[in-house]
Amino acid sequence: MAGQVRKKVDTKQIDKIIKSYDKSEESLLAILQDFQRSFQYVPEEGMKRLSKYMGVPESKIYAMGTFYKALSLTPRGRHTCKVCMGTACHLKGAGQILETIERELKVKRNSTTEDQRFTVESVNCVGACAMAPVVVVDEDYSGHVRQSKVMDILDKYK
Amino acid sequence: MEKITITIDGKTVEAIKDQPVLMAAKENGIDIPALCHHPELENSGGSCRVCLVEAIQGGRSRIVTSCNYPVRKGLEIRTDTEQVRNIRKGVIELLLCRVPDSEVIQNLAAKYGIKEPRFFTDEGESDRNKCIACSLCTQVCEDVVGVSAISMQNRGRDKAPGTPYHKDSSVCIGCGACAYACPTNAISMKDEKGVRKIWGKKFKMVACSVCGKPYIPEAQVNWIVRTTGKERSFFDKCPDHR
Amino acid sequence: MKAITSFEQLEGYREKIKASQKKDLPSVLICFGTGCQANGAVAVADAFQEEIVKKGLKVGVNIGLKTTGCHGYCENGPLVVLRPKDVLYLKVKPKDVPEIVEKSLQNDTIVERLIYKDVNTKETIAAYHEIPFYKYQKRIALRNIGNVDPKSIDDYILSDGYKGLAKALTMKPDDIIAEVEKSGLRGRGGGGFPAGTKWRSCRAVDSDVRYVMCNGDEGDPGAFMDRSIMEGDPHSVIEGMIIGGYAVGAKQGYIYVRDEYPLAVKNLQAALADARAFGFLGKSVLGTGFDFDIKISRGGGAFVCGESSALMRSLEGKVGEPRAKYIRSVEKGLYDKPSVLNNVETWGNIPVIMQNGAEWYASFGTKGSKGTKVFSLVGKVNNTGLVEVPMGITVRELVEKIGGGILGGKKFKAVQTGGPSGGCIPEAESDLPVDFDSLTAAGSMMGSGGIIVMDENTCMVDVAKYFIGFLVEESCGKCTPCRDGLPRMHKILSDITEGNGKEGDIATLEELCDVLTYAALCGLGSSAANPVHSTIRYFREEYEAHIRDKKCPAGVCKSLITYSIDASKCTGCTLCSKKCPQGCITGERKQAHVIDKSKCIKCGVCKDVCNFDAVRIE
Ligand SMILES: Cc1cc2nc3c(=O)[nH]c(=O)nc-3n(C[C@H](O)[C@H](O)[C@H](O)COP(=O)(O)O)c2cc1C
Ligand code: SF4
Ligand code: SF4
Ligand code: SF4
Ligand code: SF4
Ligand code: FES
Ligand code: FES
Ligand code: FES
Repeated sequence: MAGQVRKKVDTKQIDKIIKSYDKSEESLLAILQDFQRSFQYVPEEGMKRLSKYMGVPESKIYAMGTFYKALSLTPRGRHTCKVCMGTACHLKGAGQILETIERELKVKRNSTTEDQRFTVESVNCVGACAMAPVVVVDEDYSGHVRQSKVMDILDKYK
Repeated sequence: MEKITITIDGKTVEAIKDQPVLMAAKENGIDIPALCHHPELENSGGSCRVCLVEAIQGGRSRIVTSCNYPVRKGLEIRTDTEQVRNIRKGVIELLLCRVPDSEVIQNLAAKYGIKEPRFFTDEGESDRNKCIACSLCTQVCEDVVGVSAISMQNRGRDKAPGTPYHKDSSVCIGCGACAYACPTNAISMKDEKGVRKIWGKKFKMVACSVCGKPYIPEAQVNWIVRTTGKERSFFDKCPDHR
Repeated sequence: MKAITSFEQLEGYREKIKASQKKDLPSVLICFGTGCQANGAVAVADAFQEEIVKKGLKVGVNIGLKTTGCHGYCENGPLVVLRPKDVLYLKVKPKDVPEIVEKSLQNDTIVERLIYKDVNTKETIAAYHEIPFYKYQKRIALRNIGNVDPKSIDDYILSDGYKGLAKALTMKPDDIIAEVEKSGLRGRGGGGFPAGTKWRSCRAVDSDVRYVMCNGDEGDPGAFMDRSIMEGDPHSVIEGMIIGGYAVGAKQGYIYVRDEYPLAVKNLQAALADARAFGFLGKSVLGTGFDFDIKISRGGGAFVCGESSALMRSLEGKVGEPRAKYIRSVEKGLYDKPSVLNNVETWGNIPVIMQNGAEWYASFGTKGSKGTKVFSLVGKVNNTGLVEVPMGITVRELVEKIGGGILGGKKFKAVQTGGPSGGCIPEAESDLPVDFDSLTAAGSMMGSGGIIVMDENTCMVDVAKYFIGFLVEESCGKCTPCRDGLPRMHKILSDITEGNGKEGDIATLEELCDVLTYAALCGLGSSAANPVHSTIRYFREEYEAHIRDKKCPAGVCKSLITYSIDASKCTGCTLCSKKCPQGCITGERKQAHVIDKSKCIKCGVCKDVCNFDAVRIE
């Protein structure tokens, strides 16, 4: 759950996720995504256990971890704030919205605030272009975002 | 092996069906630059893009990479048209931007009349200094050595080979096959005082009982003994003294 | 549910649920697409539930109530549609609900303030199909969306669902392929390759295992039609794939869905489970002895995974890099077996083509591009959203008739089609009919159907820089031209937009364009030059203004503009001076304010907050 303080990575949870899928290379990406969802990142221990269980070299799993944007190797903040930088949003001023957030939270895009409250990401189109510009915090979409109002949206997340 | 004839730069030559155009050209004394292709590695090629040629087949002309374009009946290849030369030069210039310190790329660039790249260059960290991200090293490690200690990581311009988390690999046997395969000598491998250092990890070397020279990492001997069943005593002597 | 094991049983079931439906029951349809949910549709649905109960009415008896997929008009969500009256309410809030129930369900009147009002003519229109956004549409791929509840297989069956499949299963596979060929259906994912031809080549390869796949990666940033179809009518994609699987001889299908589309995954999963329970999937589909099933795979957030060979590597559980070999996927695709990959919209068209016949489908569209296409009309137009129109409509009709013209009465400058692989079409060329071939001829491409409208305040150099920047991040890094060429291209474009452009930059850009076009390994790199090429082609003078005069005519490029306050418009409300993060706006209350240009970081907050349009950009 987003919003929880992360404790030590739970190996039981790791194994539970791994075992909930078919023992096939086809499941690798899905398992890594579930790690991401459970722990807000892909822990090293998870890759190691997954490698052993599937008999796939760790180097290959690590390569996936560094290739896919949906996966991150370092823990994310309690909340993820995705600022859409898709074309429609870009044209409607998403750049300035992202800059406002960066300025106000004192954080660079695609990194996490010092207090671990937010990870701010620029993403490419969240599929709600008709409401551009769009900001998604955790799973909540906000459309027609204005830069003078964007911090009010973020204030709701502690 | 079916032999067929194709034309390369106006010359009619004999080639084997489905063999890469690059090899057919080589066998006929036509030189095409190539960096990322290795005839023994099934998945190699197609990455550096310096081996570009024009291929005309069935009346259709296109620019292709000769290292993996298959020889087929009626194929006509042009390796040195103005367009091919220009595009190839453009690719080499970009490689020079990526690895300005690589002698291999510097020489190739000089051959194409590039003195200084016009664009900014990557000031790579020592690791990536000369690496053109061709993935030959990772393929050798996977397909020939069989340990997959390294893989191509990240995406885009950060693409580079490495061990997981850049930590000492638990499976690397220090064989150095990756370093030998690298077209730009980008992988640092140092043998010093009976110890080999590669990918940041140290390997104790076994010395030859005749000449006393440390010549093979112990980890590699163990690996070969384990996977092939060869006698350990075989490695007492180096290849020169067996 | 007991599996249906024959065509007669299917028809019998359809008749049964049809008979159980109350005719002309006043019904409320609430849009539950991602957009409307973001705008609060869930609360609206709850309010309807509550209000109906409160009024002593019963859902399904006196009043119909259901949730549907995206109507494409998300900008005005939450959308509520009343049937059979065909009334459309926009931006509905929970507090509007009691009034709607009373006036429009229990009585026959309309809540005026919730209906469509044309920004240009100020005319109000209550009827769904009469508002300009829908009036000119021809919905084939989107036929069910907005009408059916995506979570109800009964609803799909009621709308003639799985009829196309039943018909196809009585035909010979070769005849199905011939029908698809005859329909002229071309792939909707970008390339426009004829679907039937692809299927035929795949079937022709000797193999005991074949695969069909659906590309739901929807990478074009600015297009969302595939999302809408997967969310709003998942069964149409599934039905299309079963037909395709039967035609090419595949037993297994895969749907690759973008990670950013959780609702699509959820609805597809539910639809697959239902289709299995009903016997449309699994062993012996509809009792015919043909076995077929479908798996869903979530993408990992990589644009390049929309490319066919990269998608297949990704499905296999690998890094999604394109394959360098000169081999076609119809021969050696997924797991090196003959494979057919089609786009979501392509698959969604298949069931109706089977049901209504190739001739019917081919009666829409142009000579080379048959049928309809869904476009994602976004950017600086009044009506933004998803629209489906016959191929061959002109750009101008799309923008002016359906889109209702440019936002704020500004000047129409260009449209961008095809996303990062496409290009721009200037206003002067906008009488161009939109189809695969004419867009390519104009230096753009159809792509997945994103149409991004740009006005006089859009800087074309900035647009080119935007797309190249996107591609720099998305390049897989396997080949030199794309990996190392795009960052150089991006640097030149950045320099130009920052006032550091040099004479000769345009020529250098064009050279780099050539290297990418001819030398890149996959379509991402080889089409990456299009956004640059086409903007240079049509807007060279704008590049030159940046390079030579250090001016951004559209007023976008930060380094080349300044903010100031128009004293004649400023009322001295002080709002901007309070909001300016630099504190560099000063002035007395009720006096014109002034911006200290030396401190201004050009964040644009003042312009955003000013209610009197007094902040100027020069
Ligand atoms: C970089 C790149 C990205 C692509 N992204 C998509 C995509 O998101 N969705 C899609 O359907 N096709 C995409 N394509 C096209 C596919 O490779 C493929 O042609 C298509 O899915 C085939 O289906 P169709 O014939 O039905 O269009 C992309 C191609 C490239 C080169
Ligand atoms: S030295 Fe290590 S990384 Fe290199 S090929 Fe040998 S085992 Fe692989
Ligand atoms: S280290 Fe050498 S072999 Fe490995 S990818 Fe880089 S250039 Fe290629
Ligand atoms: S063109 Fe770009 S995305 Fe395609 S293979 Fe080359 S580096 Fe990868
Ligand atoms: S917000 Fe507008 S009107 Fe108010 S002080 Fe600023 S410029 Fe003047
Ligand atoms: S461009 Fe932002 S949601 Fe599509
Ligand atoms: S040698 Fe052919 S692409 Fe590198
Ligand atoms: S989500 Fe409701 S119209 Fe698109």
